[in-house]
Amino acid sequence: MAILEVDGLSHRFSDGAVGIEDIQLTVREGGFTVLAGPNGSGKSTFLRHLNGLLTPTSGDVRVQGVSVREDPRRARQLVGMVFQDADSQIVGETVYDDVAFGPENLMLDRQEIHQRVMGALVALGMSDMAGQRTHLLSGGEKRRLAIAGILAMGSEVIVLDEPFSNLDYPGVRQVLAAILDLHARGRTILLTTHDLEKAIAHADRLLLMEKGRIVADGPPDAVLSKTEPLGVRRPCAVRWGRPVESWLS
Amino acid sequence: MNPSPIHDSSEQLRMTVYASLMAAFIAAGAYIAVPIGPVPVVLQNMFVLLAGLLLGWRWAAAAVGVYLLAGICGLPVFAGGTGGVGRLVGPTGGYLIGYLPAAAVVGWMSERRDNNRVLDVLGLIAGTMVVYLCGVFWLKMATGMSIGKSLALGMYPFLPGDGLKIIAAAAIAGAVRPMIRKPGKVAHSHGYS
Amino acid sequence: MAELTAFRYHPGASILHRVDPRFKLGCLIIASMGALNGDAAALGLWSIASAALFAEMRMPLMTVARELRYFALLILLVVLARTLTAAGEPLIRFWGVALTRQGLIEGALAGWRLGLVVMLGLLFMAATRTWQVKSAVESLLKPVPFIPHKRIAAMMGLLLRFIPLILSTARDTADAQRARGIENRRNPVFRLIKLAVPLLRKTFLDADRLATAMDARCYTESRSTQPLFARGGDWAFLGAVCGLSFLALSLPCF
Repeated sequence: MAILEVDGLSHRFSDGAVGIEDIQLTVREGGFTVLAGPNGSGKSTFLRHLNGLLTPTSGDVRVQGVSVREDPRRARQLVGMVFQDADSQIVGETVYDDVAFGPENLMLDRQEIHQRVMGALVALGMSDMAGQRTHLLSGGEKRRLAIAGILAMGSEVIVLDEPFSNLDYPGVRQVLAAILDLHARGRTILLTTHDLEKAIAHADRLLLMEKGRIVADGPPDAVLSKTEPLGVRRPCAVRWGRPVESWLS
Repeated sequence: MNPSPIHDSSEQLRMTVYASLMAAFIAAGAYIAVPIGPVPVVLQNMFVLLAGLLLGWRWAAAAVGVYLLAGICGLPVFAGGTGGVGRLVGPTGGYLIGYLPAAAVVGWMSERRDNNRVLDVLGLIAGTMVVYLCGVFWLKMATGMSIGKSLALGMYPFLPGDGLKIIAAAAIAGAVRPMIRKPGKVAHSHGYS
Repeated sequence: MAELTAFRYHPGASILHRVDPRFKLGCLIIASMGALNGDAAALGLWSIASAALFAEMRMPLMTVARELRYFALLILLVVLARTLTAAGEPLIRFWGVALTRQGLIEGALAGWRLGLVVMLGLLFMAATRTWQVKSAVESLLKPVPFIPHKRIAAMMGLLLRFIPLILSTARDTADAQRARGIENRRNPVFRLIKLAVPLLRKTFLDADRLATAMDARCYTESRSTQPLFARGGDWAFLGAVCGLSFLALSLPCF
């Protein structure tokens, strides 16, 4: 079943620059999609339409059949978004407070909030960090905290913008393991990257963007050969004609 | 490259976050201090003036108000990492109180015209004077010193530094303003009240 | 932020830790006002009460003294100004300044008052978490008309969140500029501008991203917040503080 339906989506900035142009896409529930493209190709602009942070110039996005334009609040709850800069999306002083931010905004009662926060922290393996101060966390922990924060809102689709940037090797592994775990529990994953190496072994679909358009779409094996003319480096293994290995093995 | 302006997200939320940021600058400015006399020479007052220049009078007053309230409630935002009523009613409390009208005055003046350097500087001078009016009067009341002594201790030594801060603030505002998206006329009408 | 506020929350389960933050805030203001208007007897009473609370909290006295050192200069100034300006019979004269009995007493009292008010603030800070302060402010401002109490509480939280960001960004910016020899420029205005412009640009960009992230997480001003419940003990504590201030007012002057 399609959880996200994007129909003829275009966005033009107020200065006239084209952000994205005529994007046509459906994402099935439970999929793991990687969206790749060079910087400035419109990846982030596209993602921000999925939960109504940006309003399209034309076209429409539907989440579980309901237009984002009609109910942006519902879209924001269902489509959780983890931004590239982990530091600037932390709101709470402690880990617990930060995860509670979303559920508090949904005006749930205290007990429900507590259950959701603890549930999300357990899912991300952070339940023993609940009282910790957020600015003392490592890069990988901050990114996991951001994921916990949207998980507690009950998001079905988890959108991650460059989730591996600025992370060291253990950080990448932590975050990747968390994403795979959520995927295994049935969440739909959509992540952007310009570094295919780290996630492509687990994806079932690869999209390539260039100049605001989706220029390739299909199973990773089929699309990988087309990446380099578009400014995205092919994983090493593919160059040597071998299958891409997971960073977790 | 990030997609530039996310112009559809709530203006009010963004201004709330901006005003909180300027309040944090005012608090952080207290930690960058050169102690001369009873009032440490700090960048704090420059950030108060900048709040006016960057946010306009309503949100600048909100920024300073939240800063003062946080201090009154005991959060460690006043100089030396302290808070509490003690600081506000102490001999230098008048300067802190004076920040509130000063930020509003600077903001109001700079809002008369878009990015007008002359008005900015006039506003900055007026704002600085407002801070001293409150500060020196309070110092005189709290310590029982004569007005001459209060001025000699609580104003004259800092004027050269303030002159430099005014020049700097005007230049900084000119460079930073273009990237701060202020709310349009409509957003102003339902501003901070 | 740890390095810039040596004095902050000390985890514990003392009487003061357990009092509802709204009551604590009220008591802080009552006690501060009491101390500011009190004479020696009242000051003594308040000092004993706060010392008892410090002791019950098991706060080492050295920590308290260390925190007070920031105020030493301020308090000293008040003492000196009061001492030297009060009229009365001179005890000693030197360099044309008369040191009077009244002056000495007044100076000592003024210093004591200020020191006590600072101590009260430290007591409050040591026993109250930031989110409790936020909730207390929100709850106390609620009945005041035309004041967006939820927004103010949210702004106080954001204010504290941004301070460490500003300081670390300032440090990075200054380091990067030192690496390119900014010390060779003598003009303080030039250096101030060159530091402040990138610092403000970077932090405003971060603030912008934060606003977007808050929006993405369904931020509304009518959000639910941590509820506060007043218990019997809180009223008893408030009653004790009020009782103390009446006692302090009614004590004979001497």
